[in-house]
Amino acid sequence: MSASRQDAIVVEGLARAYGGLRAVDGVDLTVAEGEIYGFLGPNGAGKSTTVRILTTLLRPTAGRALVAGHDVEREAAAVRRVIGVALQEAALDPLMTGRELLQLQGALHGLRRGAARERGEALLDRVALQDAADRRLGTYSGGMRRRLDLAMALVHEPRVLFLDEPTTGLDPSSRATLWDEVRRLNDDGTTVFLTTQYLEEAEQLADRVGIIDQGRIVAEGTPDELKARVGDPVLHVDLIDPADAERAAGALAAHGAIRRRGDCGVLVQSALGARAIAPIVRTLDEAGVEVDAVELETPTLDDVFLAVTGHAATAEDAPA
Amino acid sequence: MTGAAYALGVGAALWRRALLEIARVRGGLLPTIIAPIIFLLGTAGQFDRLSDLSDFPTSSYLAWILPLSCLQGAGFAGGAVGANLARDIEQGWFDRLLTSPAPRPLLLLGPVLAAMTRALLPTTVILTAGLVLGVSLTGDLYGLLALYVAAVGFAVVAALWGMTLALWARSQQVGPLIQNGVFLAVFLSTAYTPEVLLQGWLATFAPYNPTTYVLELARQATVAGIEPSWANTWPGLLALAGMGLLWGLVALRLLRRFSR
Amino acid sequence: MSSAALERDPAVQARVVTALAGRGLRIQMRRAQFLIPAFLLPLVLLAVIASGTSAAQNLRGFPDTGAYIGFVVAGTLIQGALLGGITAGISTAADIEGGFFDRLLAAPVHRVSLVLGRVGGTAVLGALQACVFLAVAFAFGARYEGGVVGVAEAVLLASLAAAAAAGLAAAIALRTGSLQLLQNLFPFVFVLLFTAPAFFPRALLQPELQAVADVNPLTFVVEGIRAALHDDPALGDPLTGLLAAAGLAIGATALAVWAMRARMRST
Repeated sequence: MSASRQDAIVVEGLARAYGGLRAVDGVDLTVAEGEIYGFLGPNGAGKSTTVRILTTLLRPTAGRALVAGHDVEREAAAVRRVIGVALQEAALDPLMTGRELLQLQGALHGLRRGAARERGEALLDRVALQDAADRRLGTYSGGMRRRLDLAMALVHEPRVLFLDEPTTGLDPSSRATLWDEVRRLNDDGTTVFLTTQYLEEAEQLADRVGIIDQGRIVAEGTPDELKARVGDPVLHVDLIDPADAERAAGALAAHGAIRRRGDCGVLVQSALGARAIAPIVRTLDEAGVEVDAVELETPTLDDVFLAVTGHAATAEDAPA
Repeated sequence: MTGAAYALGVGAALWRRALLEIARVRGGLLPTIIAPIIFLLGTAGQFDRLSDLSDFPTSSYLAWILPLSCLQGAGFAGGAVGANLARDIEQGWFDRLLTSPAPRPLLLLGPVLAAMTRALLPTTVILTAGLVLGVSLTGDLYGLLALYVAAVGFAVVAALWGMTLALWARSQQVGPLIQNGVFLAVFLSTAYTPEVLLQGWLATFAPYNPTTYVLELARQATVAGIEPSWANTWPGLLALAGMGLLWGLVALRLLRRFSR
Repeated sequence: MSSAALERDPAVQARVVTALAGRGLRIQMRRAQFLIPAFLLPLVLLAVIASGTSAAQNLRGFPDTGAYIGFVVAGTLIQGALLGGITAGISTAADIEGGFFDRLLAAPVHRVSLVLGRVGGTAVLGALQACVFLAVAFAFGARYEGGVVGVAEAVLLASLAAAAAAGLAAAIALRTGSLQLLQNLFPFVFVLLFTAPAFFPRALLQPELQAVADVNPLTFVVEGIRAALHDDPALGDPLTGLLAAAGLAIGATALAVWAMRARMRST
């Protein structure tokens, strides 16, 4: 196995069995330097196990993995020097303050006291926790904890950042704040390996997405590529008069595949997506059909997940 | 940064973190102090007259039992460090340390340093209580030093024992097992009477319990009949080194295999 | 029958007390965290003290009870009773923290029945512990000159002591609802134990401690147990022990009932 210079993570045939259960069952993937890779799947699919192997916390039972060119098994120490890790259960000592935790993390990475302090202050600014820096973690909200956790993972300016379900359980605004931060980090050149069970999150952040189900990668590609697998976007045309429905369907057949929905709805599936809206409206106008609304529905990763696994990502709201 | 400076920095940082527990949990250390003091006073009161027996090396039973209470307090303080590691493992904090590049032995060094520090408090409070109640330091400075070495050393052994169990079980439920182990190590020894007066199964067992010799080391401080001497010192030091090495190596081995 | 009528029906309430006592006992016997302090800890201490301090028999004035373990086992009975009582308090606090207690309160159960169930269960536990401890001591050489009657008396006294400890611990649990506090009370069991002549004759205790022991009601219980086991009035008086143990049990149960009422008023 060889990692090209641009590859931050190379995984080949990775497997991890617990007794008879194969939590990860032959995963292959490559993440280029500077990429955000979204690792998507329901609870128990093998996401966290993969991350634990890549971050040296767990040994694989088969296969190999290189992170920043270092073998996670044989060169674990070298891997640890270049990775930043924010794990799913953000374990933060409730007795310590945010500032103390950052300094401790600095010491663990060999920063001198002065340097650790300086770096800590910069990171507190970055994640907007300066005001809460001297409060004990016990008083932090979920969003603040995740932001501090992220800051701690960044203390040593890691080349590869692992985020294991960074926004699970967060409210929408905290989630958006964290997303912004991840994008900024990536702009600075950090490679990000992100696991999530939120399809929207992968769509928002990831350059490429791998979908894992029952320990195996079942689909991989850019969000657009994956969505294209499901099929073309669908235009929902709502008519004012149900009596027009039949005529509208006939007139629109030239624009794509037609389906009916309810009394007043006609669905047009078209590869043109948004560009099909104007011609469709014109056609209906010419046919004398009054239109109430036209909506474009592009396939989501939910649809993709359903298409590739045969079942919905229903575990989304199940407890971790 | 040199390797030594780095090691020192990591050790110190983890040590500080472990000590916060004492500084920030109100009454966090009380159990390690109160239980041994109650035991000290209760045992001395119950078995006071044992010191009337010929062959008993001191006329004060309180002076006899005081070093034992110090070891008990120090041992519980050390065991608590192991219980805290079990909590850290269960709650995921330990993962954070494991993904850092710090050499693995350093991850155990911080808690060991914390155990040494924590042991000083119960030892000093119990010793002071004994002195107030009339125990005299028959061993002078040498004896006092021996007592502290024994207590701090025993805390280290208890911490390594506790961390071994924590790394093995990876669950907080192991807490009582850790402290019961410390309890047994202390009491299955010459705890109540010297070896010459022991009868029954303890007479057979106590000489094989290394803690017996650690007690002997500590008793140089207050027991008139155990004079400060190298002969009374080295077996205790050897016992501490042996137990520390054993549990230290097992703990390290378990830590190395932790990711399997 | 209305729920108020149910609460007044003695037959119903007797069934409630029995059911609650049974539940308490089952929990006690199934959880290591309760079994270890209730059974193992006293036995370990018995083994250590019986072997470690047996030279005491050579002291002038030490009573002759045959094997030394036959003398100290009385202290083990009391220790077991006290630790069993504390674990009953811990169970109560855990029920309060865990919400099970609220479910009991919502049932048509007399408040006194809740207390009696807990105390009664622990009394049975105390009797069980006593039988185990006496059997183990017998296996290691203790002989009971008091015969079956003497052993039965000793078991009764231990059982009442357990009920007393349970009442006290339950009162604290009901008043504070704090599991943490109850757990921290463990060392204080030893205060009660060591201020009675649990493992040594009262006459040979340290003088200051002897003065305390003279007024510690447990003194009469442990001496009563010893006298009953060895049928030796010089060791104590079983009747005084019975009065002391019964008084403690009734007083502590009353305290728990009061704590329950106070809890009802404040919540």
